[in-house]
Amino acid sequence: MDHRLDYVIGDFLASLLLGTIVGILSWAIVSPWWNMLVAMLIMMPIGMIAGLIAFFPAGIKLGAMEAMVPLMFTGMLSGMVVGMAAAMHALSFTDALGLGAASGVAGITFVWIANSLLRGITMENGGNARG
Amino acid sequence: MADLITQAKWDRLAPRFDTMASKGAEARWQPFKQKLFSEMDGKILFLALGTGLDIPFFPTGKDITAIDISPKMLEMAQDRLAEYDGTINAQVMDVHDMPFEAGSFDQVVTSCTFCSVPDPVAGLKALHKVLKPEGKLFMFEHTGSRFFPFRPMMNFMTLLTRRIGPDMNRPTVNNVKAAGFHVTEVNNVYLDVVKTIKAYKPA
Repeated sequence: MDHRLDYVIGDFLASLLLGTIVGILSWAIVSPWWNMLVAMLIMMPIGMIAGLIAFFPAGIKLGAMEAMVPLMFTGMLSGMVVGMAAAMHALSFTDALGLGAASGVAGITFVWIANSLLRGITMENGGNARG
Repeated sequence: MADLITQAKWDRLAPRFDTMASKGAEARWQPFKQKLFSEMDGKILFLALGTGLDIPFFPTGKDITAIDISPKMLEMAQDRLAEYDGTINAQVMDVHDMPFEAGSFDQVVTSCTFCSVPDPVAGLKALHKVLKPEGKLFMFEHTGSRFFPFRPMMNFMTLLTRRIGPDMNRPTVNNVKAAGFHVTEVNNVYLDVVKTIKAYKPA
């Protein structure tokens, strides 16, 4: 997690907004008669592509990978969660909005936790870091 | 001869490059780049200069040879080159086809370069050749991730980004080792995706 407050707020709002938009998109696309696995497999890449599209405006202010990675992850997560829920039973618009927003918050929180675990010096003087 | 496909790709991106990369990305990466570049010393080869976004982070008074495959990118860099308090000799050049003699440089510095070099190990071997023995390699790069779910995401992204810009899934630390360098430090700046790499050419 970046400790500069404007980036923390920006990252959070971008993921919240994208999660909500992908949630609404999933609600509009997926019907209750869909197979749940099919809904998940279709909505995950659609969510990722939505994240990639959102990266172009968001990245100007929020950075490159710091915008692209959480937005694509959030899009994928929101597409999966809301897509599966919409395939299980008829979702109301408000439910899809809430689930999408919650997916956005969960997505950015996951990325922040992963970043706090992975960042920093991983190798000095001939260790075995890869990547 | 320069890789004309790669050159054309970056020439096309040049007019829009600063819009995407000059604000958020540079502001976020500034502290890490400045810290890495503060170690610049001696005769330095810098690649790829692009539109010169890294120039304000260079320490002053250095002797830098900077290359980029895209003439359009270097045209956009002219104002930043003029503002630098030191010497930067900027040239259009392909890393695979550098005319420098072996052992010409004390240091090689790269910034978001090896996501785009078509043959990264061959490119790094070319850098290895032009470095003096014990010469240092400093890199600021974005790479693929080793971890789920980021790894498959970066692979998926690369399918979409490769044609218009960089790859997102390069194993750059492994490539540096494969080119014959001894890696001394890897510092993850963001996840294990954005990182600084320090290495040297064994004598």
